[in-house]
Amino acid sequence: MALPNQQTVDYPSFKLVIVGDGGTGKTTFVKRHLTGEFEKKYEPTIGVEVHPLDFFTNCGKIRFYCWDTAGQEKFGGLRDGYYIHGQCAIIMFDVTARLTYKNVPTWHRDLCRVCENIPIVLCGNKVDVKNRQVKAKQVTFHRKKNLQYYEISAKSNYNFEKPFLYLARKLAGDANLHFVESPALAPPEVQIDLAAQQLHEQELLQAAAQPLPDDDDEAFE
Amino acid sequence: MDDLEKAILISFDESGAVDSALKAQAVAYCQQFKETPSICSICIERLCFSKLVQVQFWCLQCLHEVLRVRYSSMGPEEKSFIRKSVFSLGCYESIDDKNLVRVLDGPAFIKNKLAQVMVTLIYFEYPMIWPSVFVDFLSNLSKGVVVIDMFCRVLNALDDEVISMDYPRSQEEVAVSGRIKDAMRQQCISQVVRAWYDILLMYRNSDPDLCCSVLDSMRRYVSWIDIGLIANDTFVGLLFELTLASGFRDQLRGAAAGCIHAVAAKRMDPKAKLTLLQSLQIRRVFSLVAEDNDSELVSSVASLLTGYSTEVLECLKRLNSENGKAVSTELLNEVLPSVFYVMQNCEIDETFSIVQFLSGYVGTLKSLVPLTETQSHHVGQILEVIRSQIRFDPAYRNNLDVLDKIGREEEDRMAEFRKDLFVLLRSVGRVAPDATQIFIRNSLASAVASNGDVDVEEIEAALSLLYAFGESLTDETMKTGNGLLGELIPMLLSTKFPCHNNRLVALIYLETVTRYMKFFQENTQYIPLVLSAFLDERGIHHPNSNVSRRASYLFMRVVKLLKAKLVPYLETILQSLQDTVAQFTTIYASSKELSGCEDGSHIFEAIGLLIGMEDVPLEKQSEFLSALLTPLCQQVEALLLNAKAQNPEESPAKIANIQQIIMAINALSKGFSERLVTASRPAIGLMFKQTLDVLLRILIIFPKIEPLRCKVTSFIHRMVDILGSSVFPYLPKALEQLLAESEPKELAGLLVLLNQLICKFNTGVRDILEEVYPAIASRVFNVLPRDAFPTGPGSNTEEIRELQELQRTFYTFLHVIATHDLSSAFLSSKSRVYLDPMMQLVLHASCNHKDIVVRKACVQIFIKLIKDWCARPYGEEKVPGFRSFVIEAFATNCCLYSVLDKSFEFRDANTLVLFGEIVMAQKVMYEKFGNDFLVHFVSKGFPSAHCPQDLAEQYCLKLQGNDIKALKSFYQSLIENLRHQQNGSLVFR
Repeated sequence: MALPNQQTVDYPSFKLVIVGDGGTGKTTFVKRHLTGEFEKKYEPTIGVEVHPLDFFTNCGKIRFYCWDTAGQEKFGGLRDGYYIHGQCAIIMFDVTARLTYKNVPTWHRDLCRVCENIPIVLCGNKVDVKNRQVKAKQVTFHRKKNLQYYEISAKSNYNFEKPFLYLARKLAGDANLHFVESPALAPPEVQIDLAAQQLHEQELLQAAAQPLPDDDDEAFE
Repeated sequence: MDDLEKAILISFDESGAVDSALKAQAVAYCQQFKETPSICSICIERLCFSKLVQVQFWCLQCLHEVLRVRYSSMGPEEKSFIRKSVFSLGCYESIDDKNLVRVLDGPAFIKNKLAQVMVTLIYFEYPMIWPSVFVDFLSNLSKGVVVIDMFCRVLNALDDEVISMDYPRSQEEVAVSGRIKDAMRQQCISQVVRAWYDILLMYRNSDPDLCCSVLDSMRRYVSWIDIGLIANDTFVGLLFELTLASGFRDQLRGAAAGCIHAVAAKRMDPKAKLTLLQSLQIRRVFSLVAEDNDSELVSSVASLLTGYSTEVLECLKRLNSENGKAVSTELLNEVLPSVFYVMQNCEIDETFSIVQFLSGYVGTLKSLVPLTETQSHHVGQILEVIRSQIRFDPAYRNNLDVLDKIGREEEDRMAEFRKDLFVLLRSVGRVAPDATQIFIRNSLASAVASNGDVDVEEIEAALSLLYAFGESLTDETMKTGNGLLGELIPMLLSTKFPCHNNRLVALIYLETVTRYMKFFQENTQYIPLVLSAFLDERGIHHPNSNVSRRASYLFMRVVKLLKAKLVPYLETILQSLQDTVAQFTTIYASSKELSGCEDGSHIFEAIGLLIGMEDVPLEKQSEFLSALLTPLCQQVEALLLNAKAQNPEESPAKIANIQQIIMAINALSKGFSERLVTASRPAIGLMFKQTLDVLLRILIIFPKIEPLRCKVTSFIHRMVDILGSSVFPYLPKALEQLLAESEPKELAGLLVLLNQLICKFNTGVRDILEEVYPAIASRVFNVLPRDAFPTGPGSNTEEIRELQELQRTFYTFLHVIATHDLSSAFLSSKSRVYLDPMMQLVLHASCNHKDIVVRKACVQIFIKLIKDWCARPYGEEKVPGFRSFVIEAFATNCCLYSVLDKSFEFRDANTLVLFGEIVMAQKVMYEKFGNDFLVHFVSKGFPSAHCPQDLAEQYCLKLQGNDIKALKSFYQSLIENLRHQQNGSLVFR
């Protein structure tokens, strides 16, 4: 009776739900994968696009049916109905827009209501943009909920594979699973400023590297 | 199946087999159906009869939506009907005898959705309209597991949807949450807790999943209910029993530990908290971590131990009484060994919070110096923990050495992971400097004593500790080599590890030597050792090119600091670098390898720094320099000579080769000062001029090759720096070639070069500038778009970014020209045609540019041009039309309208500075144009902004006065006043 996850290919496939505020780059992200883009089923009217993305692991080929739930209105459409039978998920926010990070818990809650106990990756997108508003050290939500966090840049392909690899490992129950060949990606539109990215990644260090407060400081508490 | 059910099934189709037009139709149908007035009863009816989960889900979703949107407009009967029906569904009851289906038999997501609907009702109705919801639910729990499970789902949904502050909440939601909590505290929470207890007792053996749900609810609620309900012997006893009994599943035991954690973390007064923590007798769980190393349970227990320790530490910090401090210290001493054990032996995710806690603990120790024996022991343990945690896994040794994809990931992961641990190390170093130094000494000594490849990771870790420790040392300590440094550094320098060919070991070794380089400033006897560390196969001659390039860079930094002390070793150094130098320009490096800062050219910079010193006699200096420059120039000449005869496919390699050579010469020149090259030793200057001659020919033989243009431009920058005005004769030709058909990016680069020239030589470059300006203006106005840059999706392309960058550089260029008394360049006969577009561009930017700093620069350009081109009132016009343009266009648009715009934010510091310039512009216009300006501005501009007559008159008085500050503050209040009125016909954007 329950909807079977239609197995249209003869290798393992999983329903992956991608959620997050509008404009965080969910669509750009899934479209980086060229073979997926080529085969995608486009269903514009109901506001969801399903992209089948294939990856080659040391244990064989796997497919993620990526449900890109773009452009949802608050009421109307299927909303959390799209999450039904989701087997794994990506929550996306935009590091250049603080509000999109503030809404991450809500996306997480709505997702977990329908999909209990599935592996979830939190992705901070657009790390190629110079003036970010959500610094790496401010991202803490994943620790509370035991999610994996990756900084990505869909436009420059930075860390594109990481979320999929993490989910594949969780779904396969094999921490050593790895991708044996890279999927064909659309060429990067921007070159990520690696130096700047390293700077962001060092922020945590710098913040933590502040000297311990002097004893006098405690008088203010 | 009726139409609605069919439509729902089609819209929920996951197979992709449904035609998208049909699907759209189905979705629209369902959407429209929601408008039916009796939609709620329809949904409830379906929930009783339909077995299709999609239909059930849709109905619940629809109920939720309708309640959220229309609750206030529903009649009392409808509300009552929904309430009763939903409650019946949640309690596994039949709504009437006909109903066949029970929602609670469905999958989890249906039950969660039902819980969400129930919580929505609670949100609106508890306690005023529906006070009995929880009490009624409690009396239904006896029906068994299904209802208990649903009860937990409702409690958890209540936390998620209403109470928990993990989600953004509106003020109204916060108020509702307070109302619900207050009512529950008063009415039923003790009964709920009682029920939890009974359920746990009854089902702990038969239904662990159910017990996990109960414990999950409890963990969430502990923070706001009376702690006495849980923190008593009975309940705490049960929680420990569940945690400890090996007969239970890990998940259940972990959930129980999670509840104890929540109890320990409850916010309360520190004195009461300490009593609570003491009563928990946490030692009961210590044995759990020793039994097993990587189960789910250990993870929960580790988290409990960390949370508990953090709370005890907090009590220690906040309690002032002797007794309070003594008890907290005792509790800490009791729990710390287990924390250390967990950290060193268990595979857990808890590392981050443990490191945070340990940092907090070390911070507290700071006030307790001198440390007790136990505390010193803890410090030692913390150091051990750090050392064990920062070690790489030998399994990755080969990946890390060849730096493949896996190796790179592992290296990144470890770098991230180490950050907090090294911060902790340095904190420990401040609290217990001696112990830390001894620890590091011992680690290094055992690394030095080790042999063979077995210890690669240990050696790498020991060196990394020494490296990280160095970051916290003061210059003074570093120089004098206080403490054990005087022993450590020589030990380091004289060591060549058997595994020194390992990439990681070699790199951290060099980094560490570099970090301590200040030590050698005072301890020059070690300089030969330092030199060989960099020059032999540990450094620049390391077989791994990653290492040797990094060594070149680090060597350059060492040379920068120590160069005066290196003169005696000059010949030795040059000798041992000969092969590296020769290699650099003969290898046809691929452009990929060239990218980034670690290209190996630093070795030339190091050499330049050494031979460019005045301590080196002229004769030697010329000899050294010529030995380097001559072959490089010859190489370029040879490449240029047969460039034409070459087959075009070979060019990329030649071009790459030439790039390398220019970079090398560039780097080399950095060691020479203008004074030396032009004044004291002109012979050296001559050598650079000859080089310039050769390199400029590149532009002729390989015209319009972007990378070469870029490299030659940067070489000219260097030569301007050291040769001064003697580069002038070379410039006209070079600029012409660089300008021809230049791309936006190249053009921007050229403008930067011109800015450098103007800033350095001021009016000295007037002739060159006047010559080149028309060509530049022509090129710029050709490539920049006439209208504003497009915005919105798709506009964020590299091409548009380059154009924006060019535009920005062009503004700077104009600003630099104007402010260096070179505005005559705009007026030459060839430049005249560009005057109008230039003024329009600057005007537009001064009013609208999104970057306030650019706007300020443009206003300053206007101020300077007015001063330059306009005589006193009624004088002769130097630039016909300029005066009226300024009065009619600039004054009203920039000085009035742009400021009136609400986006002009007076609270922003940059904007305030811009405002100051705008006021200054008015002052200058008044000085130069007198009443011409005033009449137009006040009698034409002000009325359009509906400025009252009296304010306009006051403005005139202030402008005529001498107090610019008073004018500024008056004008600001005038503008704010006009904005406030906002009743004019003028539309303020």
